[in-house]
Amino acid sequence: MRPAGSEQQAFEIRRLSLELALGAGTCHIGSSLGIADVLAVLFFEVMPVDPDLPGAPLRDTFILSKAHAGSALLSALALRGTIDRAQLEREYCRDGGAFGGHAERGTPGVEISGGSLGHGLPIAVGRAIADRLDSRHRRTYCLMGDGETDEGSVWEAAAMAGRLGLDRLVAIVDANGHQGLDRKLADDHWERLASRFEATSWEVTEIDGHDHAALRHALRGGEGRPRCVLAHTVKGKGLPFMEGRFDSHYRSLRPHDRERALTALEQARVAA
Amino acid sequence: MRDAFAAALTEAAARDERLCLVLADLGVGVFDDFERLAPERIFNAGIAEQAMVGVAAGLAQAGRRAVAYSIAPFIASRAHDQVRVDVAAGAANVTLVGVGGGVAYGYLGLTHHAIEDLATMRAMPNMTVLAPCDPADARGATLAALSLDGPVYLRLGKNGEPPLLAPGTSFRIGRATRVRHGRDLTLASTGPILASAIGAAELLARDGIDAAVLHLGTVKPLDTDAIDEALADTGMILTVEEHSVIGGLGGAIAEHAAQTGAGRVVRAGFPDRFVHEVGGRDHILARHGLDAAGVAARALSALGVEPPRSSPVGAGGLR
Repeated sequence: MRPAGSEQQAFEIRRLSLELALGAGTCHIGSSLGIADVLAVLFFEVMPVDPDLPGAPLRDTFILSKAHAGSALLSALALRGTIDRAQLEREYCRDGGAFGGHAERGTPGVEISGGSLGHGLPIAVGRAIADRLDSRHRRTYCLMGDGETDEGSVWEAAAMAGRLGLDRLVAIVDANGHQGLDRKLADDHWERLASRFEATSWEVTEIDGHDHAALRHALRGGEGRPRCVLAHTVKGKGLPFMEGRFDSHYRSLRPHDRERALTALEQARVAA
Repeated sequence: MRDAFAAALTEAAARDERLCLVLADLGVGVFDDFERLAPERIFNAGIAEQAMVGVAAGLAQAGRRAVAYSIAPFIASRAHDQVRVDVAAGAANVTLVGVGGGVAYGYLGLTHHAIEDLATMRAMPNMTVLAPCDPADARGATLAALSLDGPVYLRLGKNGEPPLLAPGTSFRIGRATRVRHGRDLTLASTGPILASAIGAAELLARDGIDAAVLHLGTVKPLDTDAIDEALADTGMILTVEEHSVIGGLGGAIAEHAAQTGAGRVVRAGFPDRFVHEVGGRDHILARHGLDAAGVAARALSALGVEPPRSSPVGAGGLR
């Protein structure tokens, strides 16, 4: 049986991420909800994994650099069958458990120990170079936050990728417009960000990061140059009382919020 | 401790108009008072720790005093080269504040733990290294750091630590604080894990072991007089730290004792491995024998004492 479509999977990623946050009382909920569509399209449509072999190793490489959204990645991996869902629900952010708030390398499908920003893209460049050396025709995807592009290491790696013309490297920038101390963005913020990638020989595609058709198209395309997908997203997407809210980064939910949160998530899906 | 630090910082900023604060996109709500007092002296470098530390060094070169603040590993590891060249070698008036020292950010994992920071910071010439133990101590350490000439690394816990020192205890850079007298051995600790040392001394007392407790709010320069005295009085120091056993407080005291040849030093801390254990701080400390029971058990084994069957230490301490 083929897995359900990416829209349905995105909802499942959101629901499971929310369940994990509710169970463990953890924060970064908005970060995870915001990238659910990107992950659903990647893990269930774009990255060539055999849908009949849900436990098979992922063929393309996916690196979550904004690892504070780790609960979404773990949820996608659980839905994909790469890790055990029951164990994830039992052990996420629990004393002695197998899964922490930032996914760590060693968990199947988790390529880097995340939580320190600006590490993903340099590692992705290394992986893409190795694939080129070994003539492996696979893509390397790196998902990072827009705030994360403050880190100098992002641009050091971007320059190298551009210089080498790593055409099978795709950097996805989760452009939700929020970061830690939440600054007001300049009107031309996104154009300037895009032009910085272009200046280092990247191709930039700007899309709605919740539009699955646009994601499919953008994530599959690109030849000759590394590609940056500037994906505009809404932090907390799918949970109306968190959508677009700065505090969705810091706020945690308590067990008594459970019904309200899950109902709101369900209703928002129906409305959409 | 974080709020005590922020309050002391704001007080210092009110007195010293040169004082500037540089952030790396962390500290929501922590610096609201500073922001009200002097919004023109607070700067956010963005998620860019190396730039934050470099900017602080530049401000200091121009005659300012600068404080850079982030989660401990993002100061001590991420910006290491800027700390070394721009701050330490430059002997800049920069106070580097690392919040969440040790494993205070438990569940957030190894990228958010700092268990090598005391070692790397201590190895830097010119650097003063402070690790206060409770909110009042953090306040004292902050004010001391901000009136010292030269670079300081100030390692804090998070928030909500209980008071551990007697009210009115003053913080003096380079001076250890005797928390408890004892004859049989000295438990020497730094930072909020002093709570485990105090708890261990209480457990040991039930087994008839009289442990002294020494708090070293300054890791560098080391209070060698206090170390010499502790070794002379008790013959043995068991160091207790939320840090690798390599290069931190245990390393510093062992280096000193090896030179003088006086007494024995045993180190309790994280072994030479990254902490992959998922859990809150208390869980991680207990799993590494760094809770009160674990420290007491370590003390008994160092003393060559078999824990009595009835002892709470014997019942659950040894792992």
